[in-house]
Amino acid sequence: MNNLNVSLVKNTLYFICAIFIASCGKPNKDSSDYNKVYPSQTGGMLIDATIGEPSGLIYMVAGESAAAAISGNIFNKLLKYDKNLDLEGELAESWIISPDQKTITFKLKPNLKWADGKALTSDDVLFTWKLVTDEKTRSPYASDYQLVKNAVAPDTQTFSVTYEKAYAPALDSWSGLQILPKHLLEKQDIHTTTFARHPVGSHYYKLDSWTHGENLKLSRNPTSVMGQAKIDKLVTRIIPDNSAQFLELMADNIDSMGLDPIKYSRIIPARPELQKKLALYKELGNSYTYMGFNLKHKPFDDVRVRKAINYAIDKQEIIDGVYLGLGINIASPYKPGTRWSNPELKPYEYDVKKAKALLKEAGFVDLDGDGILERDGKPFAFEIITNQNKEREKSAVLIQRRLKDVGIDVKIRAIEWASFISRFIKTGDFDVVVLGWGLGLDPDQFNIWHSSQNQPGQFNFIHYNNPKIDALLEQGRLELNPDKRMKIYHEFAKVLLEDSPIVYLSAGYGLTAIHKRVKGIDTPAPPAGIGYNSHDWYIPEQLRRIEIGRNEIAEK
Amino acid sequence: MVGFIIIVSVFILAMLAPLISPYDPNNIDVKAILLQPSWQHWMGTDGLGRDVLSRMLYGGRISLLVGLVAVGIATAIGIVLGAISGYYRGWVDTLIMRLVDVMLSIPSFFLILAVIAFLTPSIWNIMIVIGLTSWMGVTRLVRAEFLSLSSREFVMASRTLGAKDARLIFTHLLPNSLTPIIVSAVLGVAGAVLMESGLSFLGLGVQAPQASWGNILTDGKEYIQFAWWLSLFPGLAILITVLGYNLLGEGLRDALDPRSNNK
Repeated sequence: MNNLNVSLVKNTLYFICAIFIASCGKPNKDSSDYNKVYPSQTGGMLIDATIGEPSGLIYMVAGESAAAAISGNIFNKLLKYDKNLDLEGELAESWIISPDQKTITFKLKPNLKWADGKALTSDDVLFTWKLVTDEKTRSPYASDYQLVKNAVAPDTQTFSVTYEKAYAPALDSWSGLQILPKHLLEKQDIHTTTFARHPVGSHYYKLDSWTHGENLKLSRNPTSVMGQAKIDKLVTRIIPDNSAQFLELMADNIDSMGLDPIKYSRIIPARPELQKKLALYKELGNSYTYMGFNLKHKPFDDVRVRKAINYAIDKQEIIDGVYLGLGINIASPYKPGTRWSNPELKPYEYDVKKAKALLKEAGFVDLDGDGILERDGKPFAFEIITNQNKEREKSAVLIQRRLKDVGIDVKIRAIEWASFISRFIKTGDFDVVVLGWGLGLDPDQFNIWHSSQNQPGQFNFIHYNNPKIDALLEQGRLELNPDKRMKIYHEFAKVLLEDSPIVYLSAGYGLTAIHKRVKGIDTPAPPAGIGYNSHDWYIPEQLRRIEIGRNEIAEK
Repeated sequence: MVGFIIIVSVFILAMLAPLISPYDPNNIDVKAILLQPSWQHWMGTDGLGRDVLSRMLYGGRISLLVGLVAVGIATAIGIVLGAISGYYRGWVDTLIMRLVDVMLSIPSFFLILAVIAFLTPSIWNIMIVIGLTSWMGVTRLVRAEFLSLSSREFVMASRTLGAKDARLIFTHLLPNSLTPIIVSAVLGVAGAVLMESGLSFLGLGVQAPQASWGNILTDGKEYIQFAWWLSLFPGLAILITVLGYNLLGEGLRDALDPRSNNK
């Protein structure tokens, strides 16, 4: 009885304390100076959110961005890109390329360990390579690794791969493969193994818990081979709606999220209370939006028509109207400012006169005076399809208007992603698409532009076929000298621009809001993006969330 | 009465859209994105700088048109099938009624979603599909009316005097069952307006750049904490119109149906 009373009194006191702290905590926190300089320190918790729940944390099977974001904190790769996008070792201490450029030998760092204490050796790397190339794994990333003719692990620290012929993107590919533990996955079915939900890795963090539909909690991996991250806990909440995520960000229940241009340049700047606690980061994104022609359909097989449309579209208007100025006009499928992007190329300017002249040259004239051009008695009309992505739909509406000015009648159709891919892209049943491509770090774009890659399900679904481009792409894959390789891709981009199989609309910025309690973030963002040093981010003790009640309950 | 006034005013506004719209509903102005309601733009502007008031007025035409045409199709089918079923009875009746049961057992919104997925989304397809999937209520109603009217004295008298089927159906049975049909049609319009808004909201309805209340609402969803006017006005318009049709339908029933008049 006495005990009960004591605990009751204690609990009540705790409760009152908690309320007191919570109630005076808020204003205190808001008045706390987020702009002050705090020394780097360990501890704390960072909460972010994901729209989609990962299907599993074995990235080579899951293949979604949701999985990548989390598994990237758990598993290591052989190589990684540094701040300036140069390759450096992650698990590998060094690597040697043989004189004939067909063999790469990686030397692993000494004393590598899995989070369960077992040694991480070249055997694990060999196992991972076998797994990703195994037919039964059906990994979407298999193709890069299938080019490896032979892979061996002569001793625990050496891993060596030999290619059929020199393959320039090879090194880049080893910065993408997350190494998995052989001792836990051998003889398991990779598609059904419980490992996907209970992964054991070697990187900065390990998975503590995964509550379906709610959150994934990661904590620091004490045996991390990369040293120790500063922040103790990473929590990724599953919030499937963008607007709901933003509400949580405003309510201080998550620390970071990706923003669209309207939130970035309209909503947050208009609210001083948000500006006070959120830092905004802008970096050139990793993708661009384009309008692609189905080159098997007339009249898009005519380069004059493609150029005319390119001239008729006002890209600056799309950047201003859709991306609120947060995008740039590009002339090659590479990140501007990187070595692969040809600085001499200029985007097609907006020029209605040139567009009209080219269309006339191609035989399009408005005979019946209805404002729409005709050729062979048929009006120039086509349909733009896009997936249900607000920015792309808006871009399509702006294109529709501009093309009407030159006498082309455009219809727009936005289609849900799954049927967009299966019914239109794979079957080639479309005139024009508005879509996006990623800007990879390696310049090889064989999959997208080579004429051999036009089967259903492959990426050259616009059926681009240019022997000159094919030759350049093949050459680029064989060339390992970076300077010579750069020249090849500069030429490639030039031919591509001239031929205009797609219209580059805009390369948007990646926009992120991160709570100001998180320190150690590089500004301005380096070429690799702000996330490259997330293990060095820290949250000063004074600025941490007050988590008394919640944490204790969670730990009990 | 209130319903009538609401519906008539909505109709007038939609009809006069080209005259009273302050701007072209598709006029994009990238310098005027997401402006708050002001004297220049009474209902603000949307994500592409288009005037929301103008888009609402033109969108109203679409919503009303879809409602009327869809219900017209549904009512026409319903009358024909209901009349056949109620007049001839027997196996035809059984067949039609089982068909009605089957159709009613499928949730109509999902049926429409499934059909639309196979067609090009366009305003005409939407009207036809909504019409083709919502005739069952009218069929049952007409059949019931026909069944009860068939045994009334004036119908029997006409039949004994040698009237043909067509005469019986068109001059006696149908005119006498019009009241419930009209009431159900008016209530049906409310349902069709909602349905169209729902489909456009999901991106399966009217396609860009055409405006409809449903797709203005979708645009607004993303910015609901910031650009409230994009969600509020189309939401209110749908609410008022649907309410108006419901009030009108109920008012008509009270006015035309002698049974409910007693109360």
